[in-house]
Amino acid sequence: MRKLLVAVAAAALALTACGSGGTGSGDGNVTITFWDNNGGPGRTPIYEELIKRFEAANPNIKVEYVGIPSASVQQKYDTAIAGGETPDVGGVTTSYLSNLVGQEALIPLDDRINSGPLKDKLLPSLVETVRQTAPDGKLYSVPTSGNMDIIWYRTDLFQQAGLEPPKTWDEFTTAATKLTDAAANKYGYTIRGGAGSVFQLITEAYAYSGVDNFFKDGKSTLNDKANAELVDKVADLYKKATPEADINNSYTQMVAQFTGGSVTMMHHNLGSSGDVNKALGDKVAAIPLPVGPGGKRTVVPNPTDGFAVFKNSENPDAAWKFAEFLASSESNSYWNEKVGQIPANTDVRSAAWIDGNKPVKMALGVLEDPSTVIVPAPVYLPQYSSITKTDSEPQYQKVLLGELTAQQFLDEMAKKLTEAQKEWEDRK
Amino acid sequence: MTETLIRPPVDTPPPPRQPTKRRRRAVAEEPGKRWLIHVPLVLYLLFTLIPFYWMLVFAVRPTGSTQLVPWPVTFEHFDTVWNDIGFGIFFYNSVVMGLGVLVFVTVLSVMGGYALARFKFRGQRLFLLAMLCSQFIPGAMMLIPLFVIFKGMGLLNTLTGLIVAEVAFQLPLSLILMSGFIRNISVELEEAAMVDGCSRLRAFFAVVLPQLKPALVAVGSFAFIGAWNNFLFALMFATRQDKFTLPVGLSYALGEFNTDFGALAAGGVVAAVPVVLVFAVVQRFLVQGLSAGAVKG
Amino acid sequence: MRTKTWAPYALIAPTLVLMAVFLVYPIGSVVYYSLQRYNVTQPWKNGFAGLDNFKQMLFDDPLFWQSLAFSAKWVFVEVALQLLLGLILALIVNETFIGRGIARAMVFSPWAVSGVLTTGIWILLLNPSTGIFQVLSEWGIGSPGTSVLGNPDTVFDALVVTELWRGVPFFAILLLADLQSIPKDLYEAASVDGASRWRRFTSVTLPHLKDAIILSTLLRAVWEFNNVDLIYTLTGGGPANQTTTLPLYVARQAVDSHNFGYGSALTVAGFLILLFFSILYLRVSKFGSRA
Repeated sequence: MRKLLVAVAAAALALTACGSGGTGSGDGNVTITFWDNNGGPGRTPIYEELIKRFEAANPNIKVEYVGIPSASVQQKYDTAIAGGETPDVGGVTTSYLSNLVGQEALIPLDDRINSGPLKDKLLPSLVETVRQTAPDGKLYSVPTSGNMDIIWYRTDLFQQAGLEPPKTWDEFTTAATKLTDAAANKYGYTIRGGAGSVFQLITEAYAYSGVDNFFKDGKSTLNDKANAELVDKVADLYKKATPEADINNSYTQMVAQFTGGSVTMMHHNLGSSGDVNKALGDKVAAIPLPVGPGGKRTVVPNPTDGFAVFKNSENPDAAWKFAEFLASSESNSYWNEKVGQIPANTDVRSAAWIDGNKPVKMALGVLEDPSTVIVPAPVYLPQYSSITKTDSEPQYQKVLLGELTAQQFLDEMAKKLTEAQKEWEDRK
Repeated sequence: MTETLIRPPVDTPPPPRQPTKRRRRAVAEEPGKRWLIHVPLVLYLLFTLIPFYWMLVFAVRPTGSTQLVPWPVTFEHFDTVWNDIGFGIFFYNSVVMGLGVLVFVTVLSVMGGYALARFKFRGQRLFLLAMLCSQFIPGAMMLIPLFVIFKGMGLLNTLTGLIVAEVAFQLPLSLILMSGFIRNISVELEEAAMVDGCSRLRAFFAVVLPQLKPALVAVGSFAFIGAWNNFLFALMFATRQDKFTLPVGLSYALGEFNTDFGALAAGGVVAAVPVVLVFAVVQRFLVQGLSAGAVKG
Repeated sequence: MRTKTWAPYALIAPTLVLMAVFLVYPIGSVVYYSLQRYNVTQPWKNGFAGLDNFKQMLFDDPLFWQSLAFSAKWVFVEVALQLLLGLILALIVNETFIGRGIARAMVFSPWAVSGVLTTGIWILLLNPSTGIFQVLSEWGIGSPGTSVLGNPDTVFDALVVTELWRGVPFFAILLLADLQSIPKDLYEAASVDGASRWRRFTSVTLPHLKDAIILSTLLRAVWEFNNVDLIYTLTGGGPANQTTTLPLYVARQAVDSHNFGYGSALTVAGFLILLFFSILYLRVSKFGSRA
């Protein structure tokens, strides 16, 4: 028994005495860590290729790839920041960039961008959405990819039904209804009713209403009558032209229905190109979100992807070099071609693959059309995710179930957003 | 002696069947009543296996296919899982972690369980309560403080660290269960052995341990599987790709832009099949405790 | 074996060390943060909050009470059904029959499946376009488009069944192991006394299993109370918060809204409730007193 006690004590000592290894090395070679915020079979191989290229060009820098599952990425960043173990470079989107900036985890990149080859090479609209997320108006991520909400639709099923892809919401609801045959488990559309629902609903609402600003005189325009009209229209489709299951749909369930063949149209964004193309091949195409009765095209931009350099990095120069490499025209072209999103590097605009990628070409057409009005959502508000996700997603489900009117639902959300906006203005 | 509790003594005539259907004992002697075993078992197996079948189907048919009986089968998803996601290293990590946790949890829970079951000591109730309390907080709320501890001890990015943390979290449950098993083992034999001159330790190895085999299998497999399936700690306390475990790899297939059910299912087959096979082998020890020859008359 | 020796302390020492190192500080920090305003997205607001979080929780947050009530219902139904089915299964696979080894391995196999995978499989199985209801409707059973998770009337039952799938083996394994230590002579004595099988089950088997049942139901109840992965992925607590458990609410506050202060307060509430419940349960069930 005594031996045991000694062994236990020794083990306890060994546990506490373990030192931590250093990461630096004296021979001029450095290792940087890179976190992919969307790790998975779709994107990991792309980064592996890019890292190989980078290391070949920079033999003294080694990049360690870490893929974070997208559902856990914010939790992972929060924990890492609180524990002081952040990566050197990390993939970020503007939907949580403001949180990282608020925790003072990142370094501003303006000077580095402007003193290097990326100067004036990044799409101004994307740069602007990144800039807006920081209270000091600095760039805390180098934007590499834009995204836009679109409707994926099944070309074969539209053809069979003799329908044209819809351009307005009226055409859209008509088509969705016509393409529905509930007895055969065929539905025209699938609503995202679960996690992530309100983000998408907001883009639909503004696309319909044509309201051209998220705030007017400091007040949120979200509860505009026309926005409520749209929410009603979508809620009307529920269970009539969409599966009953939609109420809990996160992306995973939604894409399961769409690629499973029982749904003709799905609202998501360019980011799902890989998933839908893999399952449906050339039977799928994309259209922009339909417009409302006003005919005006309004787009609430999808979060912008980019790369941030973390403050705790021991090798910020090497880290930046890698981020810069990822944003360079060659890498940017490769990455966006593979995932089917909008390249942020303007040199890529003329790349040959863009002409062959219809969804990207379509999205670029919309975004570059001078008559298109861009309505950025206030993702810079620290409470934005809390208001639109935690608070509002269950409320939207109540609307779908008929327990709450669209107007009440939007009024509630608009009130909170107005308050948050005021607080934000006061702090600036 | 294995089936002691189901087989009535041979010389006793089988008692009349009871109206309740819950008794399914002694059917071995009543061939006509075998359906009492088979029907509920088959129903339950259906319930258990249909989800597995779904997984298998998605693992071997091409993405977008809806065939219920896929043919010809494809192995592309296994290729994705092994080569694009890099399951090999996750598999290795899960095995190491599972075995490490299995060993430590089993040994420590036998020690602690024995203390709880066979001794009365000051602070016993407090100890029991403290262990229960340790289970009251969801892991997600402890992540940041745990991360700080891990960092302070240099345990980040080490399998040792993951094993230690997992042991700390599983031990209370295993220890409490183990103490229950030990309490069920008759004290008399152990005392007799001690009267015969055995030390307590020898009496434990000679008398208690052989009878504890089913408990060891039960608690050990809980520990192994808990570690094998650990997601949150593995994801949060490792910042290197080569330190992640199987569930992290699986969650890659459920991302916002990476939903790949084929890969998920193929990864699931890779993760589940070895465990089920190993369990098929060790399950026999779940019921061999008494026949191992420890109990004389 | 009443003894005053250091032996029991030596035996529990490693456990104590581990718990002291890995559990005391995290639990303490949860208590600490429950008294703070702590939201990583608004660090400028962070600071001591006193009992504000608790006041808000008790008096100004209907979702707290709603999720707590749902948690209670969820835990009770799950644990009761898991115990019942687990006990039946343990008794069945304890019998001798051909293919018993295989049957046991298969019955227990869901236990080997991780949370991530369980939810993934059930998403596919319950989804109306890729799942079992689609296949059944093609065979003429039920109607197409049946969504048990999307329908407020069936979502609870569907979740219960899903959780049973992976929870029943826990009880089955545990009780099967515990059945092995019942001394044969107890049954023989009962048979000699002319006890019926049902009598022998209630007077020998059940009393013997009593402690194991009390412990395993308690531990399982705590586990079911705190575990969120399945509901989080399958319904996210919906539709309209109908399946939101307290820990799921915590996860939404802490993980999605980054509101660790309030999340900690909710966690402390859960902790106290479980503590009260555990003590009460052990008292009422007279744990440790043998029949």
